[in-house]
Amino acid sequence: MKRGLSLQAALAAYRPDTELAPLPELNDPDTLLNEHHPDHLRGSMTKLTIGPNAGADCQRELADLLQAEAFIDEADLAGAQVTDTDVLVIGGGGAGCAAALAAAESGARVLLATKLRLGDSNTVMAEGGIQAAIEPDDSAQQHMQDTLRAGHHAGDPALVAAMVGDGPEVIRWLIHQGMQFDQTASGDLRTRRAGGMTAPRIVHCRDYTGLEMMRVLREAVKQHRGIEVWDQSPVVELLSNERGQKCVGAVLASLSDGSMRIVRTRSVILATGGLGRLHLNGFPTSNHIGATGDGLVLAYRMGAHLCDLDSFQYHPTGLVHPPHLSGKLVTEGVRAAGALLLNGQGQRFVDELQPRDIVCAAIIRECREGRGIHTDNGGVGVWLDTPRLECSQPGMLEQQFPKLLARTHHVGIDPRREPILVYPTLHYQNGGIVIDVNGTTSVPGLYAAGEVAGGIHGRNRIMGNALLDIIGFGRRAGRAAALAEHDRGPKKITLEHVNRARRALTLAGLPLTQRAPQILPAYTAVGKDIWKP
Amino acid sequence: METLNRNLLHPQQRVGENMPRWLQAGGSEALRGAVKDTSALLPAIKEADLRGLGGSGFPVWRKWEAVAKEAASPDKYLVCNGNEDEPGTFKDRLLLEETPHQIIEGALLGALACGINRIVFYINPDLTRSLAALKSALGQWQDGELLKLASDALGKQIKMELVPGSSHYIGGEETAAMEWIEGQLSGKAKFPFPRGKPPYPAQCGIFGCPTLINNIETLAHVPAIMRNGAEWFRNLGIGHGAGTKLYSLSGDVLHPGVYELPMGTTLRDLIYVHGGGLLSGKPLKAVFTGGPSNTLLTPDDLDVNMDFESLRERGASLGTGAMIVVSEGTGMVKRVAEYARFFAHSSCGQCPPCKTGTATISRLLDRIDTGCGTAADMATLESLCRMLPGSGRCHLVNGVAQLLDSSFRHFRNEYEQALK
Amino acid sequence: MTDNVRHPASVELLINGITVHAEPQMTIVEAAWAGSVPRVTGVGCLEGVCGSCRILVKKGKEVNVALACETFVEAGMEALFLPAPGTDRHQYELTELADGWDIQARFHEIFPEASRCRHCNGCVQSCPKGIVVEDGVALAAAGRFREAGEAFFECVMCELCDNACPENIAPAHVGLFSRRITAFFHLRPPNLIHKLEEIRKEQAAKKDLP
Repeated sequence: MKRGLSLQAALAAYRPDTELAPLPELNDPDTLLNEHHPDHLRGSMTKLTIGPNAGADCQRELADLLQAEAFIDEADLAGAQVTDTDVLVIGGGGAGCAAALAAAESGARVLLATKLRLGDSNTVMAEGGIQAAIEPDDSAQQHMQDTLRAGHHAGDPALVAAMVGDGPEVIRWLIHQGMQFDQTASGDLRTRRAGGMTAPRIVHCRDYTGLEMMRVLREAVKQHRGIEVWDQSPVVELLSNERGQKCVGAVLASLSDGSMRIVRTRSVILATGGLGRLHLNGFPTSNHIGATGDGLVLAYRMGAHLCDLDSFQYHPTGLVHPPHLSGKLVTEGVRAAGALLLNGQGQRFVDELQPRDIVCAAIIRECREGRGIHTDNGGVGVWLDTPRLECSQPGMLEQQFPKLLARTHHVGIDPRREPILVYPTLHYQNGGIVIDVNGTTSVPGLYAAGEVAGGIHGRNRIMGNALLDIIGFGRRAGRAAALAEHDRGPKKITLEHVNRARRALTLAGLPLTQRAPQILPAYTAVGKDIWKP
Repeated sequence: METLNRNLLHPQQRVGENMPRWLQAGGSEALRGAVKDTSALLPAIKEADLRGLGGSGFPVWRKWEAVAKEAASPDKYLVCNGNEDEPGTFKDRLLLEETPHQIIEGALLGALACGINRIVFYINPDLTRSLAALKSALGQWQDGELLKLASDALGKQIKMELVPGSSHYIGGEETAAMEWIEGQLSGKAKFPFPRGKPPYPAQCGIFGCPTLINNIETLAHVPAIMRNGAEWFRNLGIGHGAGTKLYSLSGDVLHPGVYELPMGTTLRDLIYVHGGGLLSGKPLKAVFTGGPSNTLLTPDDLDVNMDFESLRERGASLGTGAMIVVSEGTGMVKRVAEYARFFAHSSCGQCPPCKTGTATISRLLDRIDTGCGTAADMATLESLCRMLPGSGRCHLVNGVAQLLDSSFRHFRNEYEQALK
Repeated sequence: MTDNVRHPASVELLINGITVHAEPQMTIVEAAWAGSVPRVTGVGCLEGVCGSCRILVKKGKEVNVALACETFVEAGMEALFLPAPGTDRHQYELTELADGWDIQARFHEIFPEASRCRHCNGCVQSCPKGIVVEDGVALAAAGRFREAGEAFFECVMCELCDNACPENIAPAHVGLFSRRITAFFHLRPPNLIHKLEEIRKEQAAKKDLP
């Protein structure tokens, strides 16, 4: 990487009223992606050797986890307390809560287990908003086309159709749960347009959409009499029937005392979210601390098909400075509102409202080619020109992006006067567990919803579709799991699928040294003694 | 046994609210003497080494002197603190019921010593019998000869009022008491939040006036000291102690009750001689002293003199003189958890570390007591013991931390056995 | 931007009773990791919106509560991660509040403590987001739910105010209740309703087809 300007020099040279040269034409987006997008980094991909996706491309660090040894043996389950329930939801974010509520509304007894605290999730951090085609000049078809196009047509049209069709109803349901949205003077839901959209479609609650959604859903779940919540209870393994072919429960550990509990159930919904905290390819991440891809690992060991394991979204505008917020997001809403990206030379280099992968690749290109801005502690990035936006629409940042100001305020940075230094950050797992429109996976009894599921966003997700996805498919999976036909239940609850995976690992000559799921990143220290009281 | 109930609970003077009988038994002698020369009061109290018996053990003459020095602006207040609400403390209520006139006389003597013209009797409203007795007694003083005598000696009309407290434990804290009384006297009710110090009540108390606050028991001693002399009083005590003390004995003893004994009586005498020993002859395990926000006493402390200095030397405290005795077979975790819950419930809320800290302590103790606690919970409790003292305006949080810390020191094994 | 000077000296502090050496500029969360403090599981988003990393923090003589991901290390500081909040005391389901006209009465049934605020200001001092919690509770108690909800807009549900309240009011939940019923009863956006109606008609038409 060529060294560009220092932060101090760039800041000294910066003026919010500099005349800008016209934007250079983007002739060949594919070449830009191939040369600069992190998914195309040489050496970052490998092929899976065992499991349902054997032979498929997969990011190397993820592949190590998918092909790892389980944490527990049957001996670890001796004396474990057993709990019966109709539906077990694993994950306490937006998808998990939506699934739990839908299952409970359908009459099921629901147990929701979450690794940390209910609501600790990526959902709570989502700022921009949620997409729903509700404006008169918009339609579900347009929403679908935008989603597929941005995903490079790799998404499953049936899933996309289901999601966009749910849009308006999802918003209504959220309001019914007590979620607020920004309104116009006449009472309409205010909509915004962002990268890759042909119509304004993002409804939002200032820049706290995820927080507003999460606190409402969290309360709704906690208040619902049909739902029991276990905090601090990560799943360490799924349970299968005696033939290892059906998911019949899960083993949950307690983070507070290390004990194991068995939950026996007729349906398990995985809503474990993403994997940013694996820091793939060494990138910082916008994700919360529990985003370690546990659901992918467990589902794969159980025999579920996954997809697009080589495609991740790096959000273009992660903070570089201050250091403790490294990787944390500046919402795309700021760009949607008109903020420009400027390189170290003070010039624009990409249409800011292009899909995220394009903008991300363009920022990386600028920095690699010496047009970035460097901090003293090794960070590099480009400007997100918030002061210029403030000049053109005074008061707008404070009104619409209070979170951005609050977060930078307490470290003495004012985005209304200083531009923000940004660089792409690992944000979202595009692929995941293959599901159908009801959240059903290829393993009977196992459902998936939210970021852990794949096939919806293709190889690139546009802003606002994640929140729609988690609620839409969360509710679908919850309903389907609650209403699923059930027999008298399995004769045995076993770890047969774990043995099957062990056999495959051994036959493939893979080491049995690494264990997964990871539960928490190694650097959190808690991971080191998680099992010992 | 001959020293029992000699001074405060003198059998002859236990006449309830009947004023003529109290006068017959020698009541008011001290007041009649004092009006002739009010300047003799303060030196006598100093000489007698009378202490604040509400728990502080602070020399009474210092407080008196501080208030006496101040100019009335326009008034000076005396608060007779009878908000008694600590677990295991039940002495003031007895005094109020049995000998209210003695308390009133003591209060007037204090007022004369310090130039105070307004006296407020501040009583826990839940002690209905004590309240009734005091109310009736006060009625017999109002417009009477004795009050006029005192007012003339002061050169100002002395006004005596009864203000029932707030039913909040924290209302017993002296600045909290002032806050509540201000609210009641002005007709605009205020929650009894403790105030920060300084300013001290002696300089700036009720409505900004110099204010003296003494415990009921403290004031009840004053008439006898004035009648019999400071030396007589000092000689009543044992060792460092001066005078007598009301010990509230409760828990696993045969004869619980209030005992007036020489200050400095040993725990052994209190429990085994006066209290009749432990129930079912079980061995003594510990004593929560009063109440009970202090360091625990254990069988090792049986021969320590129970006066302020001797206990302080052991790192303990006499407090209100409440002694809650527990025998072997008592679960200490449960006991401490119960008291912690009391204090968490009593925290007034204005200092977040106190409210959050005591609530957390209470929750974790409950968790440990019910078998759900972990080693991490213990570690958290230990950190709280270190961090919390000194973080509140008043002493509530310090007391909880002290109790918890001393229970860890003596009964750590019980906590550890209860962990998951 | 602020100065970027890196201090070479490390900062010594106590976290959960364990001595930790951290770099200046680190948050308490980062310092806990760097110092291998075990069992720090009350951590979530690391950007101050999930409300999980509740700590008691002592600087000099001053002790208060805060969020660990927003608190920077200082020499001699002591921090303690607080246990997660317990279960909610107040139970309600929005769907059981069928009629908006009696909402004020229902509110006081659900949150009977809300009218007993003693104005100790502990909740306000405890709020890491600078919300004037007491005023928000007073607005809710007066039935002004829209304004009350607005007062709690930045609430991250750390529930530190619930911990701090001597009357057990559970202010965070009062705030959320106020926000929720405002949406539940009053948010009726014409553009959304129009679109839902369009979809309903389309589906009805589809059903009618042979």
